[in-house]
This record gives sequence, structure tokens and C-alpha cells, in this order.
Amino acid sequence: MSADKPLLDIRELSVTYTSSNPAVTAVSNLSLQIRKGESLGIIGESGCGKSTLALSIMRLLKDVRTEGEILFSGVNLMDLTEQQLRKYRWEKIAIVFQNSLEVLNPVLTIAEQLEEPIWAHEKLTAKESNQRIIKVLNMVGLDPSWKNAYPHQLSGGMRQRVLLAMALVCEPELLIVDEPTTALDAASKNEIYHLLRDLQKRIGFAMILISHDVAFISRLTSQVMTMYCGQVVEYGRTSDVLKNPMHCYTRGLLNASAQFFRYKDLWGIGGKPPEEMRIYEGCPFAPRCCQSSDNCRKSRPELRYVALERQVACHKGGIETFLKAEGIKKSFQVKNRVIQAVKRADIEIRSGEVVALVGESGSGKSTLAHTLVGILSPDEGSVYFRGKKVENHWASRMMEGMQIIFQDPFSATSPRMKVLDVVKEPLDIMKWGSPEERNEAACRALEAVRLPVNPEFLERYCYSLSGGQRQRVAIARALVTNPKLVIADEITSMLDPSNQANILRELKGLQNRFGFAMLYITHELHLARKVADKVYVMHEGEIVEKGDASEVFEKPKHLYTRQLFSEAFYEESKG
Amino acid sequence: MAINAHLINISKKIGVLSDPKNLTAKAKGHCQKIAATIKSFTLLGKFGLTVVTFFVLLAVFAPLITVHPYDLPSGPPLMAPGEGHLLGTDDLGIDIWAQLCRGAKISIIVGLGTALLAGLGGGLIGIISGYVGGILDKIIMRLIDIMLVIPDFPVMILLAAFLGPSLTNIIIVLALFSWVSSARIARSQILMLKEKTYIKSAVLYGAGTWYLMRKHFLPEIFPLIAVQMIRLTGRAIISEAGLSFLGLGDPTSKSWGLTIHYATSFKGIYYTDFWKWWLFYPWLFLMLMVVSLAFISRDLERIADPRLRKK
Repeated sequence: MSADKPLLDIRELSVTYTSSNPAVTAVSNLSLQIRKGESLGIIGESGCGKSTLALSIMRLLKDVRTEGEILFSGVNLMDLTEQQLRKYRWEKIAIVFQNSLEVLNPVLTIAEQLEEPIWAHEKLTAKESNQRIIKVLNMVGLDPSWKNAYPHQLSGGMRQRVLLAMALVCEPELLIVDEPTTALDAASKNEIYHLLRDLQKRIGFAMILISHDVAFISRLTSQVMTMYCGQVVEYGRTSDVLKNPMHCYTRGLLNASAQFFRYKDLWGIGGKPPEEMRIYEGCPFAPRCCQSSDNCRKSRPELRYVALERQVACHKGGIETFLKAEGIKKSFQVKNRVIQAVKRADIEIRSGEVVALVGESGSGKSTLAHTLVGILSPDEGSVYFRGKKVENHWASRMMEGMQIIFQDPFSATSPRMKVLDVVKEPLDIMKWGSPEERNEAACRALEAVRLPVNPEFLERYCYSLSGGQRQRVAIARALVTNPKLVIADEITSMLDPSNQANILRELKGLQNRFGFAMLYITHELHLARKVADKVYVMHEGEIVEKGDASEVFEKPKHLYTRQLFSEAFYEESKG
Repeated sequence: MAINAHLINISKKIGVLSDPKNLTAKAKGHCQKIAATIKSFTLLGKFGLTVVTFFVLLAVFAPLITVHPYDLPSGPPLMAPGEGHLLGTDDLGIDIWAQLCRGAKISIIVGLGTALLAGLGGGLIGIISGYVGGILDKIIMRLIDIMLVIPDFPVMILLAAFLGPSLTNIIIVLALFSWVSSARIARSQILMLKEKTYIKSAVLYGAGTWYLMRKHFLPEIFPLIAVQMIRLTGRAIISEAGLSFLGLGDPTSKSWGLTIHYATSFKGIYYTDFWKWWLFYPWLFLMLMVVSLAFISRDLERIADPRLRKK
């Protein structure tokens, strides 16, 4: 099926709305191919150009400047006249419009609505067309008796079916479905899903499914494409992309989907999409990206293959790996006994992700953390930060490096020092900027962790602060260097639940805002479940299980993990 | 924008605080701190401070407040306290008051000299031992153990006799036997601080040894060493008096111990009334000084050690 020519081949398509001033480019330089019977999902936030793409394939847009080619079975739709286009529209390519009351004409009955395309394209008698309507209504699972109803008499789910019936009435080769499930409840959503799946199997049309419902896309499509600002930023097999997104934007979309992470708090992608769809010089996602650098703002990344059947438009080749540790071993000598605290641990943290390292006390979590950051040197194995081996603390003694926040708030800051001096200490040591700049950076960090920045507070000694405040000061001190990776070692375990919740939420919020990666070490599985994207489970110095938070928490594989989780999560439900 | 303006405002305020023009304000702050410290002293501590201040003033202004010379006869021998001679004279007719004022100076020099040498030197050795660790630490610790078990006074007598009587020698000998305690205190503090996470963080930010010393170790250790130094001062004054009493001090130094030595070597002093001024006053001065120092050090210790502070 895939060897032959693609059914739809879009080459370097750009669509610019000329009616508005300045002109707005909604789709820029986009190429895609779709073969017969294939299904392609397009995901992205509202306003990223998904619907414009759909409408421009149908050539339904007015007042636009369109460049590039849209080849349908080898015919360039761009060259066709309006007259010729009509033959393609609805007969070959049909669209299921976004569901709303306005899509259907309120003064026509369902049957009349459905008759329109039939009469326009095929010369059927009234009886034949009536039969066709009943057939197609049956096909979409709507009782034919509804055909004489008016649109406002139907429920949302029924209207969606009518729209689908309208699209299918001429048996198209390519079906474009635009946001079929918005505003539908779970049951109707599920019905639409079954319907689309069965119809595609039966009729064999190719399908472009546009949705911001990632879960829906994942069940229906084989390929998926992420769009941002009118560009494709990631393209690949649906299962691969959703399991292991390689563009920060795709990951952000997935993280915002409640269906994938049942327990995790929801966080949208930080920042706003550009207000006007103008063509950016650099990568359009750079301002919101957690790993952008100067380079990203200079030139626009091309869509490139980064793996088999996987294309990503990113200067860094997709989500960057910040920390990589291989074969870490660490043992301690206690009297005559050698204690193997960490036996062969591998760990990988990518930019902008929250990795939870869980395990019971004494499983070697802290030792591993201290080894990663360089307080302890490993007996074997090595740690790499952004591809470079960590030695002599180089990664932690620079801006935008890696920082650690410790467990005990009372020992984390010197009781003798003033708040301001504590927070700006890293900057003083690094000799960064002028004293005024250091003070400002320290104040900003304190504001970020919601501590007061009035001179009275800044001049207070740390011994006069509470545990929660001191932990915030310690977090501010870590954040003042704008770290790319924060290792949080049991930072909330010595705080009361309210303080714990506040600090964790704020840290996660900061993580979302600044986009740093975080290794969150804890024995509190409930907390880990709330924040983690990835989970590593540690037991007696070994990492026994690792994987996506959703998978590990839902279906733990290792015996120890299962036991640990059942103790933590199910004990209370059993009573 | 509003937040930015706010931040700039704040940083300006902070700038004012660290402005060199405001150094007087800073000094004022320090004075207030010292005043607060003194205020928190116990009654005995305040008494001690008064006495020590009195002796220091006595030592500094000795030539001004004594009419008679401290090393030449200025009246009849063995005169009882009275007119002309406030505290009487000794067997050579030298004024006792002048001698004791001079002795205050010697005692303070010996005390402070020893305390500084032993306190700072010992502290430094302790810091190095704790910070560097390893084999050096082991060597130093064994050395300290040896120093602790040697009975110090007999060895001091031996050394003083061997090196010959001079003020510098006395200070060196005393310091040689008193650095141990400060070294141990400093080492234990460093060992404890090294495990604090804020020190580890500073190391991670790339702090060097010098930065850690200046910003973290010394400010933490100094108060403890200072208390130790005051204690050492008292001990040094006693030891010097002891050595002088045994005739091993500098015979020209006119320290309190030496005055007591001369008085007690006067044959039959207890059969006369001479001891009432010749022996009593140097003893009183010595005792007051040492006891006062002990009171001060006790109070300072209470302030410097947060565990004791709570009581």
C-alpha cells in the first residue's frame, strides 16, 4: 500500500491571509504526504494553523495567498479552476467540519442538508437519493427517522454524526475530520471513535484527523504530525511520538493531556504562542522552549530525520539529554564492612522533564544524587552533563548549569548569614555580574519562591527563619544561577504537609515556567505521582525499574515496585 | 515592569546599606552589638569586665599614675602603706604600687601574647588538620594526644630553665603548652561544618579554600577561639606568676609573680607585718585578674555556644 504514489502530496505549502493587516501567515512551508487508507493525526494548540491547512486542502479559503503545491492523485489542485475543483470537493475530498450549530443550516432538515451534495455531484432520482440518505444515516449510526428533524433538535453527538454523514454521502477518497470530539462527552466521544474506525476499515478512505485531543488521535491514527505556528515541528508514527516525544512542544501537549497522566497535576505549556502569525527569523517555539539558546533565535530549524520514520524541526535535534549517568557504583567503608550504596545505576534526564527517583529510605537515592552532582565521586562509571563529563564541579559552578537542593533546610543555609547573602552566594563565588546585578538576581529568585524582598527580610539572619522559609531560601539560592537541571533531594520531607504542598507546587510551577529539568528524589510516592514525567525505582542500590510515570505507576513490572506501590497506594483503600 | 521598578528600588536600598559612606553606620551597628553582648552578661561577668578594664587602664597609664619609679628605691625599706607610698615599699624601698602597676603590664603582655600565639596558632593548626584531613590530621591528632598527657608545668619549668629567663621565652613556653585546646576546638568545628550542606553547596558553586575560610569557617570558629583565648589569658598569667614565683621568670620583669617570689623569699616575712602589703596586694591583684577573666570567659562561652545559650 505504501509503495505506490501518495494520494495526497502537499509540497511546501504556505497560506497567508491577505485580508488582515499585516498579512498573517497561518501555514508556512509545510509538506506532507498521505497514502491511500492511511490516517494522519494533526495536533497542536488552537491557532497553530491546523484548520487553515484543512481548508486550504479543500481550497475553500478566500482572500488568501497560497504558495506551493497540493497534489491529489497527481493532480495539482492549485492549478484547477473553481469549476474543476468542484469535482474534487466532496466527491474525492470531504471534510467534517468542526461541530457547532452554525455548520448546519438551521432552516433545512437533515435530509435536505444531505441532499445538497448528492444533487450537486451525482444525478440521482429523489427515490435513489432518499435511499442513499437512509443508508448513510444508518452507516453513521443515526436512526433514519431523524432525517426530517431540524439541526437545533439534535444533540451535539447527533449533529456530529450528521456532519459525518454529509461528508460520507459521496464516498470520498480522503476524509478530513476537524475537531470531531470537542464539546462531546466521553460516551459520545467513544461512539465517534468506534464509528470512524469502523467506517475507515469498511470504506477505506484516507483520513486526516485534526484534534487537540491527543488521546483520540492516538487511538485512530497511524501517523501523527505536530504543528506549531503553521509549521510541522514533529512527525512520526503515532505510537512512537506519543510514547517518546522528541520535540519539546509535542511533549508539552502530551503533558497537558489528562488522559495520559491520571494522577499528575496538569500543566500547560508555559508562555504564549506568538500573537501574530508572522514569519519568525528563528525557531518560532524558541521563546517558550526550555532548551532554546541564541542559535535558536537566529535561524529557523528544518524538519530533519532524527530516527527511523521520525522527523523533528529543532536545532538541537529534539529534546536534549541534559544528564546522563552510566554504570554508577559507589560503596562506603564502615569499619570492616563495605556497604554498596549504589550498584550500577544508569540514569538519563532530558531537558524540561521531571524525573522522580523513588525508593525506600536507605536504598541509595541520596548517594546517587550526591554522586551525580559531584559531591561524592563514583567508584565506577561517569556522569555527563550536556554530553561533557562532570569533573571538578564545572557543571554546578556556572550559570545555567546543574544545582542540587538538599533535604535538611536547617543545614542548607548558614544560620549566621543574612538571607540576601545566602541567595547571592553562588553569584559571589562565580563572580557573576556587578554587585547590583547580583542583588537584583537574588531578589528575583526570592520573588520566584514567594519570599518577601523588602530590605528588612533581606537583612534577616537565617537562624530566625522557619524551616519552610529556609527551604525556600535554599531553593532561591539554587535558582539564582538559572539552572538547567535541578536535583531536589527529599526537599520536602522535613516539612509539614501544608508547607510541603506549597513548596512542591511552587517548584513545579517554576519548573514549568523556566523549563528546567528536575530530578525529584523522594520516598513519598504520592508526591512523585503528582509531578513526575519519568520514574526510576531504586531498591538496595539498584535501579530496578524505569519508565514513563504513567506506565510505571499504572502497571509496575518489577516485583519490588509492585510491593512498594501496593504498600503506599492500596493499603488505605483496603482499610 | 512594575515588578522590575520595584526590584531596582530594592537593590538601591541594599546598595545604600553596603555603601562605604555608611561605614559609620556599620561601626555604630558593631558598637550596638558589643553593647548588647555586655548587657547580656551576668552580674559576675560585668564585675569581671570592670576589673579587667581597670587593670588594663592601670597597665597602659602606669607611668602617669605612679609617682615613684618601679625599679629604684624611693623611700625607706619595708614601709607600711601610708602617705607617699600608697601600698608601702619592699625590702629595697621600692614602691609596691609602682611595681604592681608595672606588673599589670607584664601580666597582660604575657597573657595576651600567649593567648594570641596559642589561640590563633592552635586554631590554625586545628583548621588545617580538620580541613585537609588524612595523614596530616592523624599526625597532628597524635601530637595533641602527646601534648595532653605530658604534665605541662614540670616541663615548663624545665624549658624555662633551659631557655633562660626572658619574657619572650616565657610566652613561647606557655604558648607551646596551651595551643592544644584551641586546635581541638577548631578541628572539631571544621569537621562538623564540612558536613553541613551549605558548605557542600558552596563547594559545588566553585568556592575555593580561601573563600570557605573567609566566609564560613573563620566566622564560625572565631567566637569559640576568642572565648578560649580569654581562658588562656588567665591560665598564662597564673603560669607566668608560677614560674616567676619559682624564680624562673625574668628577674627584671617585675611581674606580680616575681613580687610574690621576692616577698616569700624574704626570710621570716610571716613573723612580721610586711606580708600584709608586700605579699597581700600582688596576690589580690593576681587573684582578681584571673577570677575576672574566668567570669568573662564563662559568660562569653554561654553566648558563643548556642546549646548553652538556651539554658
